[in-house]
Amino acid sequence: MAEHVSETDVRGIAEYARIGLTAEEVVTMTADLNAIIDSLAPITEYDLEGVEPTFHPIGDLVNVMREDVEVPGFTQAVALENAPKQEDGSFLIPSILGEGGDR
Amino acid sequence: MTTPFGCMGIAQIKAGLAAKEFSAAEVAKGTFARIAAVDETVHSFLETTEQMAAEAAARVDAAIAEGTFGEMGLLAGVPVAFKDNMNLLGTRTTCSSRMLENYVSPYTATCVENCLQAGCLPIGKLNMDEFAFGSSTETSAFGPTRNPWDLERVPGGSSGGSAAAVAAGLVCATLGSDTGGSIRQPGAFCGVVGVKPTYGTVSRYGVVAFGSSLDQVGPFARSVEDAALMMNVLAGRDPLDCTSQPCSADFTAVLAEGVRGMRIGVVPEFMEAEGLTAEVREGVAAAVEQLRQLGAEIVEVDLPHARAAMSAYYVLGPCEAFSNLARFDSVRYGYCDPGHTDLGSQYEASRAVGFGAEAKRRIMLGSYLLSAGVYDKYYYPAQQVRTLITQDYKRAYEQVDCILSPVAPRTAFKFGEIGDPTEMYLSDMFTISINIAGNGGMSVPVGLGSQTNLPVGVQLISPWFKDANMLQVAAALETVYGKAPVAPAFAEGGEA
Repeated sequence: MAEHVSETDVRGIAEYARIGLTAEEVVTMTADLNAIIDSLAPITEYDLEGVEPTFHPIGDLVNVMREDVEVPGFTQAVALENAPKQEDGSFLIPSILGEGGDR
Repeated sequence: MTTPFGCMGIAQIKAGLAAKEFSAAEVAKGTFARIAAVDETVHSFLETTEQMAAEAAARVDAAIAEGTFGEMGLLAGVPVAFKDNMNLLGTRTTCSSRMLENYVSPYTATCVENCLQAGCLPIGKLNMDEFAFGSSTETSAFGPTRNPWDLERVPGGSSGGSAAAVAAGLVCATLGSDTGGSIRQPGAFCGVVGVKPTYGTVSRYGVVAFGSSLDQVGPFARSVEDAALMMNVLAGRDPLDCTSQPCSADFTAVLAEGVRGMRIGVVPEFMEAEGLTAEVREGVAAAVEQLRQLGAEIVEVDLPHARAAMSAYYVLGPCEAFSNLARFDSVRYGYCDPGHTDLGSQYEASRAVGFGAEAKRRIMLGSYLLSAGVYDKYYYPAQQVRTLITQDYKRAYEQVDCILSPVAPRTAFKFGEIGDPTEMYLSDMFTISINIAGNGGMSVPVGLGSQTNLPVGVQLISPWFKDANMLQVAAALETVYGKAPVAPAFAEGGEA
């Protein structure tokens, strides 16, 4: 099995994906990802010169717009119903920069 | 012994209501009583909605009393249950994840709303693989669903609860969602009809997104007629999902027409695929022969790029999932790990605890595949391969009205039997290319496998927005194989 990603890479990917991984999880995740990426090899083996990509499965359709009229949406109270923490009608979060301001 | 309501079809329930053999309140009560008695072993339901069903039943019973029942919708008084990635106001919508364990829907998904508007009795929410990542329902954070045909085996997935509830005769119709096979494969494993409509047929508004260019909602039922009726309820444009298209088709209209003169494609490469078990190959080949005898013209078609669909899917699916699951930020909703003094560590800890192993793998894979340099190696080529696969199908449909293939390479496997993620992904080897190309696909049961004695399904694949074609072929097969039975242990006279 080729090494597509190292444990260092996996720690970097996890940070970008905002998923905390334990040291053991980094080991298994590295092995799993390398196995899965190996299985993706066929995608790199086709001659795709000049083939247009498909970003929408049914390409002949046109985008749909609605009239620009006001319609009722969630009230503030409803939008906050599932918030783990809230204060004064807002979502409450810890410091973005961290206590030391170094993040 | 009277037939449990969950073992009846839509027409039988509606006829009984119209004839006042039973009331809608009795249908609701009987349905919940059976779920309470039986579902402890199957574990298809995560939540039941007695209050909502009672209210809906009262409306139906009032209409019956007033003589206006006939003016109600297609599902008036019919119990229906929903995969737990579909929002229903006031219910928990967990996606079988710790991340959403306490999430209470502040609104209702359009597909669910359409069923409610049609008069259904909402029965509850159904188990699934976490965030629909899986083919066995083993990744549910709330425990697996068991296959009603053999409780030692998985029901398939990700819509395993939706398939099992129908197979166990708890309800006659459920909704599932399908991103790579998540309706069709559990349909095959549980021996029921499962329809993944053409992309754009059914609104996804209010359904928790996995792969937005692949996801589609569809019904499970034990008869093609019931599945087609459900399609009539579900299909159509929704201003809240800009991918949904107008639809005025009556999907039941063609069911009695038969297949004489229809051209049905078979794909030799699929029938000879490595990993396809002999009993599934036999079952599918026998179904082809039956269709030939019913007057269909069987045509061999070539889908030369279909073999690339697996790898394209495991690029595109995780990339889209990575993007969609970024919304779980521990701030607006979902699990929030307590005690953090900076937002970054709150994100990382909440997502570490909230997501299960397979969800983390897919998010990590998507994150990697979309990173600079890697994008050009996998993601962009996958979208080009998608074009080739789509062109293959377009060419095939110049020759045929419908394509027939296996659904899954084998019948239902045992719990824990497939532990390796890449091996699990092969469960969807015949279904994935249909999501890649956007076509309609469905599974229809064709009896039991000669080796395992478990249900075998065939997959029918229709051209874009010609989903009636596959339903027409499915109805013809049903005249040979009969309607999907309730799993023996749960049928009348069964041990349950």
